[in-house]
Amino acid sequence: MLRKTVTESFGATIEGLKASHLTETWDCLAPTPVYSKKSYNNSKVYNARKASTVWGNSNIPLLPQYAAFVNGVAVHSMDFDDTWYPAIHPSGAVLPAVLALAEVLPQQSKPSGMDLLLAFNVGIEVQGRLMRFSKEASNIPKRFHPPAVVGTMGSAAATSKLLHMGSAQYREVLAIAASYSGAPMTNAATQTKPLHIGNAARRGLEASYLALLGLEGNKNILDMKSGFGAFYTDYTPDMLPGLDSYRWVLEDQDVAIKRFPAHLGMHWVADAATALRMKLLEKNLPLVKIKKVVLKVPDARYVNRPFPASEHEARHSFQFNACTALVDGSISEESFSDLNLHRQEIRDLLEKVLIENPHDNHSNFDTMYCEVGVEMHTGETITERCNTFYGHWREPLQYDLLKKFKANASTVLSMEAVQGIIDTVANLEKVTDCAVLSSYLQVKEKTN
Amino acid sequence: MLSALKFQRTSRHFSCLRLLHKSAVEVQERPAPEETITSSFGGFIHLVHPGQLSDTVLHRSKRMILDSIGVGLLGSSSHVFELALQHCQQMYAPDYISSVFGRRHTRLSPSLAAFVNGVAVHSMDFDDTWHPATHPSGAVLPALLAIAQMLPGNAKPSGMDLLLAFNVGIEIQGRLMRFSNEAQNIPNRFHPPTVVGPLGSAAACSRLLSLDRSQCSNALAIAASLAGAPMANAATQSKPLHIGNAARLGLEAALLASRGLEASTLILDSTPGCAGFSAFYNDYLPQALPSPVEQDPRFLLEDQDIAFKRFPAHLGMHWVADAACAARELLVNTVGGFHPSMIQNILLRIPLSKYINRPFPESEHQARHSFQFNACTALLDGEVSVQSFSPAFLDRPELLSLLSRVQVEHPQDNPANFNKMYAEVLVTLTTGDVLKGRCDTFYGHWRKPLSRDSLLKKFRANAETVLPGERVEAIIDAVENIEDMQDCSHLTMHLE
Repeated sequence: MLRKTVTESFGATIEGLKASHLTETWDCLAPTPVYSKKSYNNSKVYNARKASTVWGNSNIPLLPQYAAFVNGVAVHSMDFDDTWYPAIHPSGAVLPAVLALAEVLPQQSKPSGMDLLLAFNVGIEVQGRLMRFSKEASNIPKRFHPPAVVGTMGSAAATSKLLHMGSAQYREVLAIAASYSGAPMTNAATQTKPLHIGNAARRGLEASYLALLGLEGNKNILDMKSGFGAFYTDYTPDMLPGLDSYRWVLEDQDVAIKRFPAHLGMHWVADAATALRMKLLEKNLPLVKIKKVVLKVPDARYVNRPFPASEHEARHSFQFNACTALVDGSISEESFSDLNLHRQEIRDLLEKVLIENPHDNHSNFDTMYCEVGVEMHTGETITERCNTFYGHWREPLQYDLLKKFKANASTVLSMEAVQGIIDTVANLEKVTDCAVLSSYLQVKEKTN
Repeated sequence: MLSALKFQRTSRHFSCLRLLHKSAVEVQERPAPEETITSSFGGFIHLVHPGQLSDTVLHRSKRMILDSIGVGLLGSSSHVFELALQHCQQMYAPDYISSVFGRRHTRLSPSLAAFVNGVAVHSMDFDDTWHPATHPSGAVLPALLAIAQMLPGNAKPSGMDLLLAFNVGIEIQGRLMRFSNEAQNIPNRFHPPTVVGPLGSAAACSRLLSLDRSQCSNALAIAASLAGAPMANAATQSKPLHIGNAARLGLEAALLASRGLEASTLILDSTPGCAGFSAFYNDYLPQALPSPVEQDPRFLLEDQDIAFKRFPAHLGMHWVADAACAARELLVNTVGGFHPSMIQNILLRIPLSKYINRPFPESEHQARHSFQFNACTALLDGEVSVQSFSPAFLDRPELLSLLSRVQVEHPQDNPANFNKMYAEVLVTLTTGDVLKGRCDTFYGHWRKPLSRDSLLKKFRANAETVLPGERVEAIIDAVENIEDMQDCSHLTMHLE
């Protein structure tokens, strides 16, 4: 018998993972009966006229690929979505795709909440596993924007799982998806960045559809340097562990959830700057008397922008976020509006900022820190340091997660819909038809 | 807005008076938009005009257009095309706008038509190849044909508009590949049509849509985020989708740019620490394009012609096929006839490239990328043709028997480079005699271009598998006189 390839092990694992593998966070359930669906007859599986929801909008149903695209764009539009380690925004590439797909599956095979949870986790897991195939992936990326590299693969894995394919077909899905992966970093911090996640969601779904139709790619896509390895300079793939005692990556490595819509690195600097501001207030030291601000941050050009000219750049600027936190005491969605971007007090303070990149401060979301130090005209210096911001996986959000959700969702949905979603997600494993989630996403706030 | 501008000017003044941190100054003193490489590309696309197309470029690009159409028509009979078309028809709502090669009464949205027609063009690896290596036309032509039909009746582009946009798309691809030495050799990481193809398509479509300079630059940048697919999927059934998607995604990028979507203004420039287009290469040295207003551009096609294939396989196969045919002819002349049992063993002296070194290919896709398969087929049949890759021909026992007698060698002086490589086929007979065939430049290579007759012969053979004779002649006529066409969408309609 031939030695299994890494790609084969992915195919077999995606097929083999079941609800019973999801661990106690979702309560121990009796394993759902294993059933193998034959390949659907084309017209039964998908009907080009059936449509999926655009979140927060009941008037524009779109085809699932397009719904996945626009909803993915929405999720990443303000850089407010979750972040994992190694660095990736895992959910935005997966959730829009599985929700959109769930809405168009035929009546007799509507996925349950558990099916959705399982597919979602498969999509996250595949991304986490792939990221561990390269040391380069551990640091803040420089070449390819990770959501465009592994996000597409995650969406492909999740959507194909929801479609109940066979192990061989899962391999083809991953191969086809690989040809849709990859986007250069420099488009992050521009208006195009959210499309990276939108496209990951959509193209992963498309890869699943193509595989269903029988399209084939390279069966060893994950094994080869000229395969998925093309996106990395150091690529060492590994087989997935056996299914009998499967340990999900999410089990050992939680995600970070952002408190304001900016690159994750900004959260360290914001917490440090906010603490510093408290000290300044206690000592009665006004901001105008600041002579110099020194930020000790990791060396990452991507988020080193002394004078950001747009909201996208501002979300990726250590300097801007430090100054905003010093001036306002907190950072919110509002901080990136045009008006606030160009405030004189912010601009004045930005002039005084210097960046230092200490050797011991690596561009790595697990080990980095931020130190904010001010020197007053009097000569007095005050410093504050943040090693772990609130929302990081080492210090996860508590009640504030619901608070964030309510604040976000209620800008577009009615209060009943907001509560409906909270309740549904909290009990997702018991929901029989997960499309109910999508229906809540349509219930618009009555506008005056 | 005004305050931001004021701020910019003030800050430059400050940087002289105050000691701003070094890296802040570097970032701040970015060159004005007019001076970046990215912006120079946008300017070229926007400003170049038809009068700047030389006769040579016109002539060569029309040949490329004709060949691509023929190959696309033949490709519309392939399985992967059918799969792609089904996907578009079932997964997407009907949108009766742009024509599909060889299919009457079937139209799709412009981006999906670009997709399936691109798949058709590359479905058998029969489309043109350039140096540095890429398949430039398949990524561009289907997108342009689709857009032409999308534009409203009173704004249809002329044949000349199409020709110019096509050449813009080719030129951009050629320029981008010259930014890296790595690109000179047969690729081993990213499949080049997926790297430069989307930007070529974006450039061409921007041109046809008459986007302004900054929109043209943004289209390129948006397309960069849609670029890049690994080599491992080449030589599989997925490969044609690389070209299909290049055409489609470049088109989408242009459309998004036309709506105002913005992306990195430095996408083509060198930006260490935060990669742009350089992400796809290990060595990247970009250069600005001179403004077509200041001087007439010299298109790369003027100095570097394209290769057209005589049979549907990777370009490298053409050397080995011609060498094998030479050896076979020698054999026939020496011995008076040919039979496979005369052969003891076969040695191929070829460049080192894993991608096309396949001793026992298992599918038509692999066979198109196998030195061994093409050498043996040429020895056995005296030629390689479209038929050679059909299932019946793939599994012939006499072919398999020959394959088992093949060995390969990679001489040091034989680089994996379409400009420099050669192929040698040494056949050792059971008698002990060794006959050698060598090919330095196959017929169809840019150094030995196909004659008009040969090109038309190929076109007719391809197109007639799908269209009636009169229509085939009409297309030839239309393409040869395309610069006189008022409305180039008529061309697309001929192809249904």
